[in-house]
Amino acid sequence: MAEDLYSVLGVAKTASAADITKAYRKLAKKLHPDLNPGDKAAEEKFKQVSHAYSILNDEGKRGQYDRGEIDASGQERPQQRYYREYAGGEDGARYRSSRGFEDIGEFSDLFGDMFGRGGAAGRGGARFSMRGQDAQYRLEVDFLDAVRGTKTRITLPDGETLDVTIPPGVSDGQVLRLKGKGMPGIGEGGPGDALVEISVRPHAVFKREGNDIVVELPITFDEAVLGGKIEVPTIGGRVFATVPPGANTGQILRLKGRGIKAKSGAGDQLVRLSVVLPEKIDDDLKSFVEKWRESHGYDPRRKLKEQA
Amino acid sequence: MLSEKDLLARVQTLTVTRLRVWVAQGWIKPADATMQAYSEADLARAALICNLEDELGFAEEDVPVLLNLIDQIHGLRAELRGLLAALDELPDDVRSTVRMRITTHRESGPER
Repeated sequence: MAEDLYSVLGVAKTASAADITKAYRKLAKKLHPDLNPGDKAAEEKFKQVSHAYSILNDEGKRGQYDRGEIDASGQERPQQRYYREYAGGEDGARYRSSRGFEDIGEFSDLFGDMFGRGGAAGRGGARFSMRGQDAQYRLEVDFLDAVRGTKTRITLPDGETLDVTIPPGVSDGQVLRLKGKGMPGIGEGGPGDALVEISVRPHAVFKREGNDIVVELPITFDEAVLGGKIEVPTIGGRVFATVPPGANTGQILRLKGRGIKAKSGAGDQLVRLSVVLPEKIDDDLKSFVEKWRESHGYDPRRKLKEQA
Repeated sequence: MLSEKDLLARVQTLTVTRLRVWVAQGWIKPADATMQAYSEADLARAALICNLEDELGFAEEDVPVLLNLIDQIHGLRAELRGLLAALDELPDDVRSTVRMRITTHRESGPER
């Protein structure tokens, strides 16, 4: 408390009474313990500021202080009990407001459940209300239904039915939330939601990678050499794809826009070629290849040998 | 419980008119409304309003704004305290998971 009272308020020794009040109010508004519940440092500073003001605001005491008749410690004011000391307790509960986090309920089920209670605090004597529980279901969907979207109906254990709209492009493990289709609430609490976890059955031909569809396409030896138009299944029906001459196993053809139509844009279909020899190698082929080999040898394992 | 008289005696700049206006406006809610009886919290709240208006120089129309914010802060603090107390009762590994998740959320910003 040995600090100079004028510098505590940040004013000059010659400051007018009005200036002193102005400086005090500016600091006090910033530091007031009820405007900073929980801030110890602000409280300490506020005490010094109010103390300085209690002396400098009193013309008689200010004169005494200026003349050195009293020192900066002056007389301690009786301890003030701030509102914040009650606000957190049972006595202050009726003033506490939950309006500040109505929106938080939208972010978190946990908070939503708590504040759906009809006012955790503030509204005294409220009747007991509770939002209904969420109900969880699992729904198996065919691959193509998941891709194209569909409407289906779940029959619940109690015989009720629940209509579910599967949006196009739904993915395995995705959870659909049906607002208000869960358990009924108590009192003024609304019903909970139905959470439907989608499980997509795998397809024999189509595989999903993000929004792309991947298909393995077997082609003949002659198609690989000569190229040509080949029919390919897609999720939207059969289309013809052009296989370039000299196509090889592992090569991928991209069919633009034939994948899953998502909000972020349509995916593609990727066709992975796989060259398949005839099941039975006949004499014609055998003798042709024997002749061909004599003058057209090639070594696809050259790199392999160099590297290992 | 405190009577109206007790309040007036203990809060320097409080007057009957001021107190009744505040009660009518809902700034002060007597702990026992039918008996016009007040609690220590009501007393401290009346002192706070006096302090805001008289010493800090807030206008009367500013006071409900401040009280509303103060009430919201205490509402939030009470819920937060409840949440933390509930977390404290959970096993250590759950608590450290929660702590980790909170950090992640803080870093990723307020979007959902």
